[in-house]
Amino acid sequence: MSQSDLLHHYSQQFNQELEEIRTNVLAMGGLVEQQLEEALNALVSGDVGHGERVVANDYQVNALDVQIDERCTVILARRQPTASDLRLVLVVIKTTADLERIGDEAKRVARMAIRLGSADHSRGLFLEIEHLGTLVRGMLNKALDTYARMDVVAALEVAKEDQRIDREYENVMRQAITYMMEDPRSIPFVLDIIWSARALERIGDRCRNIAEYVIYFVKGKDVRHTNLEQIEEELIRR
Amino acid sequence: MRAGWSQETWRLVGILALSLVIGLVIGRVRDCLLVGLAVVLALNLYNLHQFLAWLGASEGLKPRDAPGVWGEIYHHVYLLQRRNRKRKRKLAKLLAQFQLSAEAMPDAAVALGEGWDIRWFNEAATRLLGLRPGQDAGSSIRNLLRNPDFHAYLSAGEFDRSVEIGAPGHLGRRLSVRIIPFAGNQRLLLAQDVTDRYRLERIRRDFVANASHELRTPLTVIAGFVENMRHDDTAAARHWARPLALMEQQAARMQRIVEDLLLLSGLESGQAVTDAQDVDVGALIHDIREEAIAAGGPDAPSLIAEVTAEARLRGGSQYLRSAFTNLVMNAVQHTPAGAKVWIRWRLDGDRGVFEVQDTGEGIPAEHIPRLTERFYRVDVARSRRRGGTGLGLAIVKHVLQNHDGQLEIESEVGVGSTFRCVFPSARLVFSANLDEQRKAAG
Repeated sequence: MSQSDLLHHYSQQFNQELEEIRTNVLAMGGLVEQQLEEALNALVSGDVGHGERVVANDYQVNALDVQIDERCTVILARRQPTASDLRLVLVVIKTTADLERIGDEAKRVARMAIRLGSADHSRGLFLEIEHLGTLVRGMLNKALDTYARMDVVAALEVAKEDQRIDREYENVMRQAITYMMEDPRSIPFVLDIIWSARALERIGDRCRNIAEYVIYFVKGKDVRHTNLEQIEEELIRR
Repeated sequence: MRAGWSQETWRLVGILALSLVIGLVIGRVRDCLLVGLAVVLALNLYNLHQFLAWLGASEGLKPRDAPGVWGEIYHHVYLLQRRNRKRKRKLAKLLAQFQLSAEAMPDAAVALGEGWDIRWFNEAATRLLGLRPGQDAGSSIRNLLRNPDFHAYLSAGEFDRSVEIGAPGHLGRRLSVRIIPFAGNQRLLLAQDVTDRYRLERIRRDFVANASHELRTPLTVIAGFVENMRHDDTAAARHWARPLALMEQQAARMQRIVEDLLLLSGLESGQAVTDAQDVDVGALIHDIREEAIAAGGPDAPSLIAEVTAEARLRGGSQYLRSAFTNLVMNAVQHTPAGAKVWIRWRLDGDRGVFEVQDTGEGIPAEHIPRLTERFYRVDVARSRRRGGTGLGLAIVKHVLQNHDGQLEIESEVGVGSTFRCVFPSARLVFSANLDEQRKAAG
């Protein structure tokens, strides 16, 4: 049930429709990647203009979400797909929902960047959050790559990466608490940073979801809400 | 050839003669001849069978002897096959060499099929674009390069320019990507690492922006004090009146330059696109005309506004105003009193055209291509005397770039110049009640 199977389909047009929604999801993913990148740039460099652009462009992500869902509905109604085709449509619907949320989180980070950008702050915490942001961006990119290639092994790796992001998130939190204890005046600013870190950590969770959908599509096995060792065992056994 | 055929003929004749003789002896000529022919047929069938078996051999053919014409056939097929094998080897070597040279290219190269499916790519593509050999052939490049700008570039189909995107999976690395169509529906994608160039460009831009910004405050202070001193009515001030006037004049000029530089760097970072609105060009022309008449004083040429297009222009109103003002002020400065300057907003086909035409002294042709360069002046001394910053047309060019427009310049020495801003139809907004709105407002 790999990519080549996607291409060998009895109906050429149906096949094209399926490929098209998959490409649409990935295009939406590209847009979300760009939004996240700009939001992080805005946060780290304090560039308010970048942040405002992210907030203004969020509607594009939402529009794509609605548009892809509509196409899926049409395919479900008209073609009544079964087996892997049905799984693909289901996975597309779920992935767009997750991508839309990632877009929202990016917007949240951008809002924080706009708020923080106007004031002058110590840059220590920004370094920490930049590191977290780099990790999350990499993970989103990899998750979308596995989605493009329908690659189970890579999907497992992405799912594992979530743990690293969780650790990094805890790191930022510890640092933030230290800052607040040292200087209570910094609390409002540190709270904003914490919100941004939280948003980034959530993006990590959603990337893991996308990786799990890939496993579901290829193996037909729902691996949500199970731990990683179990997933690996399941996949090896098959 | 000859030998084979004669051998074959003699054999046929021999067999037939033999069967004829036997037939005459035993008195059954017809039957014996039939048997003879059957023998000839069987011999040929046997040879055919042998030949097919020989052709079907899996490894390379070896030369083989056979009687008569069959020997010739074996010989020729063998030669043909040997020639083919040699050619194939040569082609394989060429192909391997070509692939090696493509691998050695520092730029990523990806051969794409009709539906953007990946056919082949080199080693640099693995490095720069993150493609995986053995896994990604056949899948669409759009799935793996997901940058929205790249997708827009693909669907726009204007492949005579390149697009700059961030490298997937590499933070901070910039790529310049270009599609080159070839052989009908095939395309070649070339991606070049332009991180260094991009970084330099950004450093330059940031430097200009920061320097202008830092200069603004000290300039304001200096200009303020100079103005105060000029209006002071003491003996010292009267003594220094001329230097002070010059200082004020120059400080004002420097302030204008700084403002223009800041405007330019704002344009370069693409701000105008974000705050787009529908601009009423007719009203804008009206304002600019009033402004120009007020600034020009008694020496100003007469300004004629001709607004024939009923379309609004989608864009940043401040930027458009600054671009149009620059064009009008240029025309006013270079046109003698009593002559005419036309300001037009009209439609040319489905495109919108803002046009400033003067009857001034005109610009020599060799200067025209360089007019939009920063600080480029046709006549250095005079332009400075009139208080120009040398940045006006650079601003116009950048504003137009940000609005998908083009600047066209026509000029003839002694006759006059025409500066034309051409906007694509996608930038125009038509509304039926524009005139009523304007009437209601004015």
